[in-house]
Amino acid sequence: MSLSCRHGVANPTPAHLPVTRKAICPVFLAIRDLRRGIRRFLLVGLVVTLIATLSTVLAALADGLVRDGTSGLRALPVTDLAFQPHARSVFSRSTLDDRALEAWDKAPHVTASPLGMSFVNAEPLGSGPSLDLAMFGIADESFLLPNARARASMAEPGTLVLADELRAEGAKVGDRYRVTGADVDLRVVGFTFAGSYGHVPIAYTSLDTWRSIAYGSDPRGRFSAIAIKTESGADLAAVNRAAGTETVTKSQAYDGSPGYSAETATMTLIRSFLVVIAALVVGAFFTVLTIQRTKQIGLLKAMGASNAYVLRDGVGQMGVVVVAGTLVGLLLGTGLVEVMASGQAPVELTTSAIVVTVASMVGAGLVGSLVAFRRITNVEPAIALGTEH
Amino acid sequence: MTTGPVLELMGVTHAVADGPRQRVILDGIDLAVNAGELVAVTGRSGSGKSTLLAIAGLLRRPDAGTVRIAGTDASMLSSRARTALRRDHLAFVYQSANLFPALTAAEQLELVGHIRGERRASARERARGLLGELGLAERADQLPNQLSGGERQRVAVARALMADPKVLLADEPTSSLDPELAAEVSELLATQTRARGLATVLVTHGDAPLAWADRRLDLGDGALHVAGPRTAAGV
Repeated sequence: MSLSCRHGVANPTPAHLPVTRKAICPVFLAIRDLRRGIRRFLLVGLVVTLIATLSTVLAALADGLVRDGTSGLRALPVTDLAFQPHARSVFSRSTLDDRALEAWDKAPHVTASPLGMSFVNAEPLGSGPSLDLAMFGIADESFLLPNARARASMAEPGTLVLADELRAEGAKVGDRYRVTGADVDLRVVGFTFAGSYGHVPIAYTSLDTWRSIAYGSDPRGRFSAIAIKTESGADLAAVNRAAGTETVTKSQAYDGSPGYSAETATMTLIRSFLVVIAALVVGAFFTVLTIQRTKQIGLLKAMGASNAYVLRDGVGQMGVVVVAGTLVGLLLGTGLVEVMASGQAPVELTTSAIVVTVASMVGAGLVGSLVAFRRITNVEPAIALGTEH
Repeated sequence: MTTGPVLELMGVTHAVADGPRQRVILDGIDLAVNAGELVAVTGRSGSGKSTLLAIAGLLRRPDAGTVRIAGTDASMLSSRARTALRRDHLAFVYQSANLFPALTAAEQLELVGHIRGERRASARERARGLLGELGLAERADQLPNQLSGGERQRVAVARALMADPKVLLADEPTSSLDPELAAEVSELLATQTRARGLATVLVTHGDAPLAWADRRLDLGDGALHVAGPRTAAGV
């Protein structure tokens, strides 16, 4: 393993001495120390690798869970959602009516559509398993319906368009289901890529059908939220005041997805602990290594190496170990994520997750090594002669 | 070109902790060493010989007095400037060679070039040349644990010379060698001192280096005493 060379000053020269600018490698001793004493670094390298592997898998799992919990919402062609005040983006806490919708319909630079949402269980009216569904009720002429075919499908009462993944559970066009508790019968008329919400597959039905499921025979024009598409110039605050609603962006609305906050908080906590563990392990290793190398560091300083030179050597060595361990861990983690993905686990490895994993591991290495680096700067060159008293 | 002594210690005083008290081990030391001169310093264990070297080598600051290296008064310099002065004008040879275990003989020398910001190819060429000059060409790619004691010490001398120093400070460089090797290393230090015009101070317990010294001084009770006449045997 080698580090690339660059142009620079190996050891900054004081003003009273001539400056020599040469093409040099930033580290010399550390790299050879690594190459010829690789066994000493294997253990810490292995620990860094394992932490990076676990961190990669957890990052993929965290992103996968977020995707799985919010993909249905992400797929909606909306920019914002208006909820009842204090609903905190939770559909079940929000109930709006036509009065609120009227204010949004009148607002300039805004397209609005009522949206019903509730979790239901549907029993088959024949053979087959029952289905848990995140059911969205959509108005007949809503901009949420992508095309005429979709509009035609949803126009008929009691129709149901299911998320694609429900095919795997045996659902097919023509199947009939009865919504548990509401005793409303529904007929599957199609499938769409709709994802899921709160880890439950999405199903679309007409707003009227949804109302009959949610409110029975007394819907009184109620629904859960208003889907909004804004153009530039839209004054959402003013419309909110008029409509008595509270608007959040689509991504802010993910917070309302059941389990979303707990999942992201848990994953963030676990990943943070991993970074702290990495910092402690790397820090402990390099502190011990620095203690072992105290005389060598003194010798370097006696030879005229500045603190910056010796630090660069130490940071370079730590950097090579941490970066190499992290990259190997990243590869292993990516392989594991591929295996998990083929087993239907909710995983998604994004570029930002990879960058965050590498950056946090290198950052942890640096922070963990601060104690060691402080020791390096405190080593007296006189130790080379054994007269450090 | 510096005229006058290359290394000068004037009124250097230094005390070390001795239990609850401070013991003065260097008491107003004056020492001037010229280019091409090898000064041997002897003294009992604990007399302050290594401390004298550490102060002369800018590794420690004296409690009082002045150290002048190649005309530069180091007393008032910052640590950073002293480090640079050490890098550019001073070199050490230690009792136990003090080679870096992970570096080959050639790399021990290249490291000096690296610290000085020298281009790799140039440092490599100079290192090989110096090792060849000291009869170590065949051992250039060996690690310290593959070298004999004498070879290790000669590599240490070569490493010191790689810095192209004006002042060479040797701390009992022959004490861990058998008499034959001790004589060989002493001769090497003396010939290099004269050939390169170094101001060399050599602290020793053994007899071998004394035979090659231009001056012998004995350190005792905090003062340097002339220990004998010029004994430049074989020079």
